[in-house]
Amino acid sequence: MMKIDFSGLEPRAPLRGESSELFDGISNSPSFHLPNTANFDGFQKEAIQMVKPAKGTTTLAFIFKGGVMVAADSRASMGGYISSQSVKKIIEINPYMLGTMAGGAADCQFWHRNLGIKCRLHELANKRRISVTGASKLLANILYSYRGMGLSVGTMIAGWDEKGPGLYYVDSEGGRLKGNRFSVGSGSPYAYGVLDNGHHNTRSFVYGLCILKCKRLHSRDQMHLPVGHTRFQCLLKERKLCSAPKETTELCVLSLILIFLPMLFHSRYRYDLSVEEAAELARRAIYHATFRDGASGGVASVYHVGPNGWKKLSGDDVGELHYHYYPVEVAAVEQEMTEVPVA
Amino acid sequence: MECVFGMVGNGFSLVVADSSAVHSILVHKSNEDKIMILDSHKLMGASGEAGDRAQFTEYVQKNVALYQFRNGIPLTTAATANFTRGELATALRKNPYMVNIILAGYDKETGPSLYYIDYIATLHKVDKAAFGYGSYFSLAMMDRHYRKDMTVEEAVDLADKCIMEIRSRLVVAPPNFVIKIVDKEGAKEYAWRESVKDAPVSNI
Amino acid sequence: MSIFEYNGSALVAMVGKNCFAIASDRRFGVQLQTIATDFQRIYKIHEKLFIGLSGLATDTQTLHQRLMFRHKLYELREDRDMKPETFASLVSAMLYEKRFGPYLCQPVIAGLGDDDKPFICTMDSIGAKELAKDFVVSGTASESLYGACEAMYKPDMGPEELFETISQALLSSVDRDCLSGWGGHVYVVTPTEVTERILKGRMD
Repeated sequence: MMKIDFSGLEPRAPLRGESSELFDGISNSPSFHLPNTANFDGFQKEAIQMVKPAKGTTTLAFIFKGGVMVAADSRASMGGYISSQSVKKIIEINPYMLGTMAGGAADCQFWHRNLGIKCRLHELANKRRISVTGASKLLANILYSYRGMGLSVGTMIAGWDEKGPGLYYVDSEGGRLKGNRFSVGSGSPYAYGVLDNGHHNTRSFVYGLCILKCKRLHSRDQMHLPVGHTRFQCLLKERKLCSAPKETTELCVLSLILIFLPMLFHSRYRYDLSVEEAAELARRAIYHATFRDGASGGVASVYHVGPNGWKKLSGDDVGELHYHYYPVEVAAVEQEMTEVPVA
Repeated sequence: MECVFGMVGNGFSLVVADSSAVHSILVHKSNEDKIMILDSHKLMGASGEAGDRAQFTEYVQKNVALYQFRNGIPLTTAATANFTRGELATALRKNPYMVNIILAGYDKETGPSLYYIDYIATLHKVDKAAFGYGSYFSLAMMDRHYRKDMTVEEAVDLADKCIMEIRSRLVVAPPNFVIKIVDKEGAKEYAWRESVKDAPVSNI
Repeated sequence: MSIFEYNGSALVAMVGKNCFAIASDRRFGVQLQTIATDFQRIYKIHEKLFIGLSGLATDTQTLHQRLMFRHKLYELREDRDMKPETFASLVSAMLYEKRFGPYLCQPVIAGLGDDDKPFICTMDSIGAKELAKDFVVSGTASESLYGACEAMYKPDMGPEELFETISQALLSSVDRDCLSGWGGHVYVVTPTEVTERILKGRMD
């Protein structure tokens, strides 16, 4: 008589109270100690508060004619504090596959690395690369097995396999979606607003050839400069409210020379975008999300996955990107208000 | 959920609001006009608790009219915005009105203008503004495509794009929207964007 | 999230040689959403007296309006401008007036007093004055501002150097804060002139 197979209902996460290093090989799924507590849920709650996940993020990925475009910002925040402005949120799983990071940084990093191992083992065992479908399912299954234990992962797995480009959204609630376009993180609604639809005949600039001949307003390496050694060159407007006669102040020149290569194209999501157009669309969507969302910012990095694997196309400081898209109109110093003689 | 947004174009201001009257999971009505025409050249798009919204916008409208009767000149848009803020600020520490307002107007001297006033009485003059869940989508969309010199057609086109984005991305998206415009000719209803049609009230 | 962090702000004032500078960020946001990037938090009371108000934007506006009103009355009655010390006491008194329902902002006051001696001070939301000889900070970026000012400040700077210092301190501090930034606004005040400058900053 046939018996119903109940094995699928058993918990799959390899959890145990004790683990012995002797028998834990790398090939095994990692196992974790469970906290020695009667109230697991309560402990979890506290523990999650302690390692508060970096929630603010904007990541996006979409499939187009030339493959998959993947882009992300680089900010990590804890509450209102920006803990890092240079986080690598696009994780390189292998030369043909990328993962994006939203939610808990540690969770994402660990499980993507773990996925990388599994993918490589699959490759060695089967003499062919794992499909994006397969890889995303491996990750989804792991995350599903830890469901309800406080993992926080929102990721997109993008890659190129035998069937061409592939894109999956996987999260720690156990969800796994196949799709052509996703955006994840606190800035994702803003990114979708740019990505989804656009305006016909709007002008957009091909970025990359633009040179901003402006002194960098603020960069990490300039922070150490002794005060007063640099002429501050980031004035938008200077105005004299009142001034003593015959004294004139020199105008702080905004030496902002922008060389643009304007090109007309529709910047909205279409399948038949060129690689340049797709990269620009991705970059622009990240930029707009960082502008409106306080928890996103830093560097907008753009990756492209094509038949020959992924390639990093650009990593632009959003602080500079803004002034590329919206160049400052050099405003003349408003004329100083002259003293009106009291009648 | 409620979505109100607006922008300033070349010689006009535009306000868009959803038209759903919702209570918990129930939709009472899907053609409720949430943009009040305050006077000949002012529009007040409001979102918030249904009672407060109706009461407060009408209160402002009547006071604007009263001012005009008493003094023979209409209140400017800036003055109306400041009056509205004042009333909200006074109410804030007593019995707050839960209304977020986008005030659009056209003045002979200053041209079109748009004011953002939230329920805690923060007033700010803006080029583009949005309230509610729709703001996440419409703000980025407007940032991307907005220009100061937009014509009415271009602005309505952009508003339509925002509406489509809200409808397709927002779980709790309202089906219908109303678009109103104020320019030197005055404030007027421009169009409705309806995907669900309610029977007109007069037919019942 | 604290109510003081609802809108996000950064404020700093510094003393130089016979001059002072006061600077703020330009963001107006609602939690993490940026609504506008041309918000004003520093207000001129008279040619040699400025007040910056961090915290909840609506109370910033209310308090500013009430302070302007009180200062105008003082001017009419006394036929002179208020001394910074007097003004600080006025602000303190007005804040404590609302001890059990405070204005949710932290003022920074900077002015030139008799014989052009610079005066700076800050307060908590219920009016506890805190005077300083070097610099004062407030807002959501106050922690990083303390660090930056502590490192960059030196006594007896001239107006140009003071501007440089306060701007660098402000911009580097807001780069560590999600809720403030998006440009800066600096006033440098000397006995003979007031210079207002708008800074370009990171827009993320």
